[in-house]
Amino acid sequence: MVRSIAQKEFLSTLRDRRFAVLSLLLLALLLAATLVGRRGYATLQAERALAQQQVNEQFHHQPGRHPHRVAHYGTFAFRPRAALSFLDSGLDSFTGAVVYLEAHQQNSVNFSPAQQAGSLIRFGELSVAFVLQTLVPLLLIFLCFGAFTEEREAGTLRLLLSQGTTLRQVAWGKITGYGWAVALVVVPALVLASLLLLSGEAAAEGTDRWLRLTLFGLGYAGYFFVVIVGAVVVSARASQSRAALVTLLGCWMLGCLILPKATANLGAGLFPAITKAQLDAAVHEEAQHGINGHDPQDQRAAALKAALFKKYGVTEEKDLPVSVAGVTMAEGEAYSSRVYQQHFAALTRTYERQNALSTWASLLNPYQAIRLLSMGLAGADFAHYVHFQQAAEAYRYQLVQHLNGLQARMGYGDKERRLNAATWRAIPVFTYQAPPLGWALPQMALPALALLAWVLGLSWLGMRLVDRSATG
Amino acid sequence: MPLFRLLFYYEYLHFKASRGLLLLTGLLLAAGLYGIYYGTAEVARQRQHLAELPALARHQVAELQQKFPGPAEAGEIGYYHHNYALHHPTAWASLALGQRDVNPYYLKLRLLGLQGQLYASENVNPAKALSGNFDLTFVLIYLFPLLIIALGFNLLSSEREQGILPLLLAQPVSATQLVVAKLAFRLAVVLGLGALLSAVGLAWARVPFDGRVGLWLALGGVYCLFWFGVVVLVTAWQRSSSFNAVALLGAWLTLVVLVPSLLSVYVAAARPVPQGLALAIQQREAIHGGWDRPKTETMQRFFAQYPQYRDTTTIRERFAWRWYYAFHYLGDQSAAPLATAYATGQAQRHALAQRLAWLSPALSTQLSLNALAGTDLPAHLAFQRSATRYHDALRAFYYPFLFTKTPFAHADYARLPTHSFTSPSDTDAAWAGLGQLLLSTVAVYALGLALLRGRATAHR
Repeated sequence: MVRSIAQKEFLSTLRDRRFAVLSLLLLALLLAATLVGRRGYATLQAERALAQQQVNEQFHHQPGRHPHRVAHYGTFAFRPRAALSFLDSGLDSFTGAVVYLEAHQQNSVNFSPAQQAGSLIRFGELSVAFVLQTLVPLLLIFLCFGAFTEEREAGTLRLLLSQGTTLRQVAWGKITGYGWAVALVVVPALVLASLLLLSGEAAAEGTDRWLRLTLFGLGYAGYFFVVIVGAVVVSARASQSRAALVTLLGCWMLGCLILPKATANLGAGLFPAITKAQLDAAVHEEAQHGINGHDPQDQRAAALKAALFKKYGVTEEKDLPVSVAGVTMAEGEAYSSRVYQQHFAALTRTYERQNALSTWASLLNPYQAIRLLSMGLAGADFAHYVHFQQAAEAYRYQLVQHLNGLQARMGYGDKERRLNAATWRAIPVFTYQAPPLGWALPQMALPALALLAWVLGLSWLGMRLVDRSATG
Repeated sequence: MPLFRLLFYYEYLHFKASRGLLLLTGLLLAAGLYGIYYGTAEVARQRQHLAELPALARHQVAELQQKFPGPAEAGEIGYYHHNYALHHPTAWASLALGQRDVNPYYLKLRLLGLQGQLYASENVNPAKALSGNFDLTFVLIYLFPLLIIALGFNLLSSEREQGILPLLLAQPVSATQLVVAKLAFRLAVVLGLGALLSAVGLAWARVPFDGRVGLWLALGGVYCLFWFGVVVLVTAWQRSSSFNAVALLGAWLTLVVLVPSLLSVYVAAARPVPQGLALAIQQREAIHGGWDRPKTETMQRFFAQYPQYRDTTTIRERFAWRWYYAFHYLGDQSAAPLATAYATGQAQRHALAQRLAWLSPALSTQLSLNALAGTDLPAHLAFQRSATRYHDALRAFYYPFLFTKTPFAHADYARLPTHSFTSPSDTDAAWAGLGQLLLSTVAVYALGLALLRGRATAHR
């Protein structure tokens, strides 16, 4: 019985001209978004890869220089975009593209697309995720709002029930039928996405990518299921089609438009973050109590020097086998980096607290659950961004310390000498390894569980509500 | 006109009795008040951060004075000393935050090459930036049309569906009179709410009372009028209430969500701005190359632009600050074409968005209000230009010290130039936006009235 209701629902949906027009529009939008997203991804990716290659070559082709000069010359880390981010660009428009890595200081990640655009960008950008998260539910609402009310208004529900069908079976039949209909719209886009992924660059980390895409598809299947069941339940409980439609549209606006913005703004208001100037000043203040690499008269530097004298059993700096400046600089960098790490972690925690309100709101709002899940799987969420920042800082630190080590080994009077060009070619360049799915999954546990809870909760509670709804 | 008054009065009674509409209006009022609160709180926080910067700077000067107890080399001070370029918000920014949350509202500048410092970012929570600001313009542009739709989707259709319309039209009342009276009441509710929220917002944000107040009210009012025009247009179609609801929401979705997001993709593709990364690389390469080039070559190139320092002593030592800052300046010069291209590219992108904004009244209203508040991209570009002039002033201050080898005394800190910039209100852009908005409003009313006249009023 469920099967034949589903078939009937599916066929009549296909025959409905309004659905045909709307879904064709949506399908076109979805395919366009996939292609546009892919193009935008490829452009940015190529731009950043080229720039990274250029600075890597520049680093390797430096002439003979003193290592501390090289530390100030530094290098750039360009943030590559995640492979799946063409489907969901997530935070990518609001996160920077490049960070300058140099001695003594940690710079901000600059040149985010949002900074180069006017207010237009704040209206949202067309992407596959945008279509799937906000527009497909609207289509589903228009498809499902009359599921029960129209049958009741036409008197056909009584006929169905008189044949021994239960309300629950009718509901499941309709849900299945609508599910097939929406699959017709969404699956072609996902197939196109898979083809684009296949045609993309080498299949390195291939399985990770496919797993992410599979979970991406599964997540959206769950989301659409929640929307369909929710709409059918509202339709079963509503007295009139119009009431059902108004309720569902109200939910859509609240869930897709108002709640995400309100929770994000409330969170930011509750946990204010410090500015970059305050952060830098605090790091500087605390690092001052340690060793300042540019301050040879500093007390701590003197103590370090004394320790070196003692260690090598000498009394004059020129007799030391190492360069005092190099050793001091290494100590200073280690200290200030440690201080910076603490402050950066505190800032990240503040942001996580700000975002926690939105994360927890995913228990109330499936839109916020799928949004977090989707951008996490696409590798474009907050956690992935922090991962990049940390990787860039880790590289900066080990690069600067390597150079400080080189300087220390140059011995006394290092400032008068240079290391030859071959030295720089031996230093590995910055390569960013995006974190694997196994790392990303725990970060998305809450939204994933929330979505699962919605799926199970609606199947159980929603069906109980359907059971008790009016029959005719 | 007693008939009009009577119809108006009955609309009022209807509205008062409708719990759903009252609730919606109340919710919108609450959302508007929260938007005002959020916007003013956010701008107050930015103001506070800006106010704290001079204290940070003073603290650093004290530290430098301790580090260099006597007269110091000016080059050392220029290397370490932080100067802050401040971008103060207008009072209007509280109502339209625009891009002030993603663009930095201050810059920390040292005497080093400017291009490496001009594009630094402020700490931003990207997740929050993605969700956007819940300010008064959001309530006005996104939510007000929804109230208008809720109030107007069954303007005539509900009367028809309940069978009252034939009875009404049997009286000496024309359908047009009926529609006008119903619209007038709804317009009074919406514009009254808008005026109330604007009054609260303007007072809370302590906006100076000048012509811009009129411009703000005109933009908000005409935007609401536009949506009433859409309601008239759909009403003139004379279909069922649910058809009207779906059609109006479709219009909302298209004009407020779809068109801007499609435009965003188009504008980014039509005006690509790739020079940012190239600029950063070019500037670093040019500056650091300065270390490896012969000093005389660098100084000759520098003197070509600063001939007044040509007669200063030739540099024989391994390092001299005036040489160091000379090649920093030359590094900026070599990146100047890229920097100009980058800034013009961004300005062109914004100009294109503004030109195409007539496609979506929501977009032209947003751009106009942000222009009025000085919170959009052009205001940030103006701040960057102002910060560039500040950096020029700093160089002009330090160069005599460097080239005449004058020591930098403690008293000289107080003579350092300071910087303060307040966004300009771009009223021209706001007027242009108002023009666009008026045109679309007139167009939609003309279409609606033509349709209403062209069709006989269906009674059932």
